[in-house]
Amino acid sequence: MSQENIKNSSDEPAVKIDYDNVDVARIMDGIKKKIASQAGRESVGPNKPGVPDSGPQPEPRSGIKGILVKIMAPFAPLIKLLVLPVYEEHRQTVMILDHANRRLARAQEYINLTHNLCHNLVVEITKLKIEVDLLETKVQIMEKDFEFLGKRERVLEQEVFK
Amino acid sequence: MRVAFVVQRYGLEVNGGAEIQCRWTAEHMSKYFEVEVLTTKACDYITWKDHYSVDEELINGIKVRRFPVARTRRPQRFGRIQDRLFRGAHSVSDELRWLEEEGPFSPSLIAFIKTSEAAYDYFVFFSYRYYHSYYGIHSVPRKSILVPTAEQDPIIKFQIFKELFHKPRAIVYDSIEERAMIQAVSGNGAVLSDLIGVGIEIPERYSGEAFRKKYEVGAPYILYLGRIDENKGCPRLFDYFRRYKQETGSEIRLVLAGSTVLDIPAHPDIIYLGFIGDEDKFNAFGGAELLVMPSFLESLSIVTLEAWAAGKPVLANALCGVLKGQCLRSNGGLFYETYPEFRETLTLLLRSPRLRHELGQNGRKYFTANYDWGIVENKYLALLDSLEKEKKT
Repeated sequence: MSQENIKNSSDEPAVKIDYDNVDVARIMDGIKKKIASQAGRESVGPNKPGVPDSGPQPEPRSGIKGILVKIMAPFAPLIKLLVLPVYEEHRQTVMILDHANRRLARAQEYINLTHNLCHNLVVEITKLKIEVDLLETKVQIMEKDFEFLGKRERVLEQEVFK
Repeated sequence: MRVAFVVQRYGLEVNGGAEIQCRWTAEHMSKYFEVEVLTTKACDYITWKDHYSVDEELINGIKVRRFPVARTRRPQRFGRIQDRLFRGAHSVSDELRWLEEEGPFSPSLIAFIKTSEAAYDYFVFFSYRYYHSYYGIHSVPRKSILVPTAEQDPIIKFQIFKELFHKPRAIVYDSIEERAMIQAVSGNGAVLSDLIGVGIEIPERYSGEAFRKKYEVGAPYILYLGRIDENKGCPRLFDYFRRYKQETGSEIRLVLAGSTVLDIPAHPDIIYLGFIGDEDKFNAFGGAELLVMPSFLESLSIVTLEAWAAGKPVLANALCGVLKGQCLRSNGGLFYETYPEFRETLTLLLRSPRLRHELGQNGRKYFTANYDWGIVENKYLALLDSLEKEKKT
């Protein structure tokens, strides 16, 4: 059997196609699943490169920098003591920013969902409006038929009881 | 046997779907019995103004009798009447006034049908929604066959049409969806009917290369053929296509051919060719990656069948039940409702030549099995045969 999975990236569900027996309904199902998963990912939001890390990253030591670090090593506890308040403040700021970013991501997700909801509501309301119009027309036609039948009935009664 | 085909407009330059279906069917069925066409002198479907001066002429060997339109359509007045009918309660006489206003108002055509009833064995009426079909069928109900060419249009629910669908001796439907819609609206299941549609003439040879050279279309392209109109979903197609180009950076082009009533957006990859002839049309199919069909309202879509006859896949608007149904039944095309679906289906089709080929071949098989002229002619003959048998019994 000749089959192929067509996809854009590794984390997207593939659209399976059996070329020996192409089934449009199945392909369309695959496409709909793919779109749904894309929408889900978009609403969660990608990992932003600008999100700060929880702490400073160690750098490779080399050359003069390495020598200086060795010379300063005995004073390290004192330096840490002096720098601690600044370091602590920096760490807290990073955490606050991180929390703010998370809140923003959630808000973005919420906005996306609300947007989708509004779109779907508009579609559904439009459908309902059309349905209501049709039903109103039907009712009016039935009322007219009923009225006509009533008149006819009265005329027939008059004829019968003459 | 003598059969009259009755249609709102008729001529080689008339390119409406129902009118083409009528002309092709009349020309093909003239092999089996005497065929005449009864029509108006109009060419323009907006005003129905008299265009042809002669009363009788031969077109491709078919005798055509033309009758004048007594009153042209006043589009604004017609629009107001139609709007009022859609909005609120109305009576049958309001609907009849709407029908007269819609036209083509040709009482002389109806008078001719009435007086010549004995001269013809059957009258085949095309397009249920026009004056000629309503009054024509009421004039000769026992000899009439209706080809409704109905779309998902609110007017189908008018009381006058519900009753009309019960009148003719037989009904020729173009698609399963059309039959289901009419039967649901009118409950006319008891009327003899068949699903026939129309055949397509495919040229023996056509060349995509010749088309590319003639119109200087270098890059791969998707094709839209037909009237460029809001009802055909063209503004939505332009919007989707531009977004697709912006998002994907694809080199694909959109080639449009047909008469236009819209402003076509200025975009380097949207190419409008104007009206093209049959030869260029099939050459255009030959060079295209696929046919895109954004229409909301179709009773059959001849151009979709032509694409399948040429072995090309179709990307159709799923909001049109007929197009979606045809794609599913034939396995010859994909469809979309929203922009993300348009983007994904188009990307899938453009990325996979094999998928395009398989869909095109499925479409061709579907066309050959259902819409080959031999099959269409036999179905018409069988229908007339059963009417003749019914008449004898």
